[in-house]
Amino acid sequence: MNESLLFLATFILYIISAFYYFLFLFKKRENLAMIGFSFALVGLFIHTIALFLRTFESGHAPFTNMYESLSFLAWSSILAYIIIEFKFEIRRAGPYFLLIVIALMALASSPLMPKEATPLVPALQSYWLWLHVSVTLLGEAFFAIAFITSIMYLATDSKERKGTKSGLSPEKLDSVSYRCIAVGFPLFTLGGLVFGMVWAFYAWGRFWSWDPKETWSLITWFFFALYLHTRIVMGWKGRRSAYVAIIGFLAALFTYFGVNYLLVGLHSYV
Amino acid sequence: MKSLLNYFSSVKLAIFLLIIITLASILGTLIPQKRGLDEYVARYGQFGNLFHKLQITKLYQSSWFIALLCLFALNIIVCTLTRLAPKLRKALQPKIEIETKEITVLKIKEKFKKSTGLETAKKDLENELRSRHYRLKEVERENKTFILARKRILGWFGVDFVHIGILIIIAGGIISGAGGIRKYLTFSEGKVLDIREAGFKLRLDKFETEYYPNDSVKDWKSTLTVIENEKPILSKVIEVNHPLTYKGFVFYQSSYGWNWANTSVEIWVRKRKDPSFLRKINMKVGQKASLEGENIHISVMHFIPDFIINDRNEITSRSLQPNNPAAFIEGWEEEEKIMSSWIFSKFPDFARIHSEKETDLSFELKNFKADQLSVIEAAKDPGVNFVWVGCTFLMIGLALAFYWPTREIKVILEEDHGKTEVIAGGIASKSKEALQSEFERIMTSLRRSR
Repeated sequence: MNESLLFLATFILYIISAFYYFLFLFKKRENLAMIGFSFALVGLFIHTIALFLRTFESGHAPFTNMYESLSFLAWSSILAYIIIEFKFEIRRAGPYFLLIVIALMALASSPLMPKEATPLVPALQSYWLWLHVSVTLLGEAFFAIAFITSIMYLATDSKERKGTKSGLSPEKLDSVSYRCIAVGFPLFTLGGLVFGMVWAFYAWGRFWSWDPKETWSLITWFFFALYLHTRIVMGWKGRRSAYVAIIGFLAALFTYFGVNYLLVGLHSYV
Repeated sequence: MKSLLNYFSSVKLAIFLLIIITLASILGTLIPQKRGLDEYVARYGQFGNLFHKLQITKLYQSSWFIALLCLFALNIIVCTLTRLAPKLRKALQPKIEIETKEITVLKIKEKFKKSTGLETAKKDLENELRSRHYRLKEVERENKTFILARKRILGWFGVDFVHIGILIIIAGGIISGAGGIRKYLTFSEGKVLDIREAGFKLRLDKFETEYYPNDSVKDWKSTLTVIENEKPILSKVIEVNHPLTYKGFVFYQSSYGWNWANTSVEIWVRKRKDPSFLRKINMKVGQKASLEGENIHISVMHFIPDFIINDRNEITSRSLQPNNPAAFIEGWEEEEKIMSSWIFSKFPDFARIHSEKETDLSFELKNFKADQLSVIEAAKDPGVNFVWVGCTFLMIGLALAFYWPTREIKVILEEDHGKTEVIAGGIASKSKEALQSEFERIMTSLRRSR
């Protein structure tokens, strides 16, 4: 058994899962969503084994280059989705969310991403690597669900205004978005900012240096802080909240992806 | 004064400042920071000077950005204080005796008659609430008993913990920025440097670079010894991610380099017409060596690790890495210079010999060796512990605010001809559905008990 084979198997399982979820969307039969969910679950299981193998093969945490980190983000996203689906039954978000996961997996498998495990540069040799990256990416996975449910909110809300009813009520989508951010925000704060500062202190000698990656994670954090304040203190709900959640996720995406390709800084690993 | 206070305690100001700080932060990531003025002018033309004047070129350290942060901190302080006092009062000295209508306006409520007397009803309710970890406060008035049951009161203060945490972090940042000391120390093995600010000395005993099998760097390790009053106090091997801490100073393995000024070179000398002729000379930069069997001295005048001729036609080193090592040598016959040449280790055929006198000799820079230098960053960061305390507050606060929702159940029991009228309502700061179901269970068990 080898890691890239398992990765491929996982990829296929996620695609099948998305296929059944979309079938469910069109045929409106609940059991199709169940099949989709089961494939996602099996995919997560195989993916977990793939990550374990990667860790054993490389001897370090499975998120030290773009390929590994994309794969891990896809894993966190499926995990987050399964948790949220289990708790709030948001099946209709499944097909769209799986598209994000498939996009991540496709990006990871693209030839642009070198796949071979390289030995760790000195700065990454720390157990903070495990804590900082895994917690941050898990937090971002929950932001991604909030992103999808917020977009769905905007779509269903405008449909309802025209008088057509759809599967998930806008109120539910709004509340699930909030719940996802209520999970993602503390995780992102802990993993991205707090663990990031602790590690920066040990590795670079300063807890904060306004490096673009640092600044952008702070910007992401500000957007979600804005989401929480406008919602809890000023009573924003629905459309306006959804827009802030969407912008917040886009900021998170830029922090994760854009900063490395567009801006130059210390944090040049992934 | 009052209106100023209101202004600073408004959430609108907080949101406005948050947006402004976010936009400023974004701007700072789009414009490269802390470069020379020339670079900005070359890049942005006229605007380069403007950016420099507006301190956008060092945005995060600019007075206006720091002022914004301070204003934000002030806003948080006022917001927290104005909200904290009433909350504390509510937590410590709650109003227990309440009007019936204060319950009837609640979303979660119930009203029913129980066939037992007030004392029994009260006992049953108390037991049920206590078994669910509620803390009770009671007041009796005539034929009425008021019960206030609450749990997870700390949840109300989650937000305040978060805000106090952020304030402590900002304070830590300001203390670090204002009182922090930071300098780079360049050591060769055996060298002792006096860290004057710290009041002790530091010696590098050993420096080594470890490599992976594929030749990429695995780690740099420096063995450091702290020397205080001429006595060694402690030794530690530091590496990246594992600094040495002593008396508030932290020493990081920051970088490495070579002491090129003191390079040893190995030069092979041949004669074009005599293939059997080969002399190997080892010497240091600046030294002279005689060529065995010949009446000639060779001296190495310069060594450059990364040879380049720049725009101004000057010979210089592009970097401190040995990417294109070159040595400048001179050959002397008695007191007369007979030749000089740059020789390149990577391009042995490229040597351009400038001869004053006919010579048959050719030179190769075969090898070079310089002591490795360890670059250690010494830092004293008086704010950092504030930051860790702030982070702890922040995380505890977030956990409390999101996952420790305060629940309150307010009950009025009224004796009415041997029976008891129960009016009860519940308030939750979050997850109201969960309280609803707990509330219903409490009421059901109260109804059933005799």
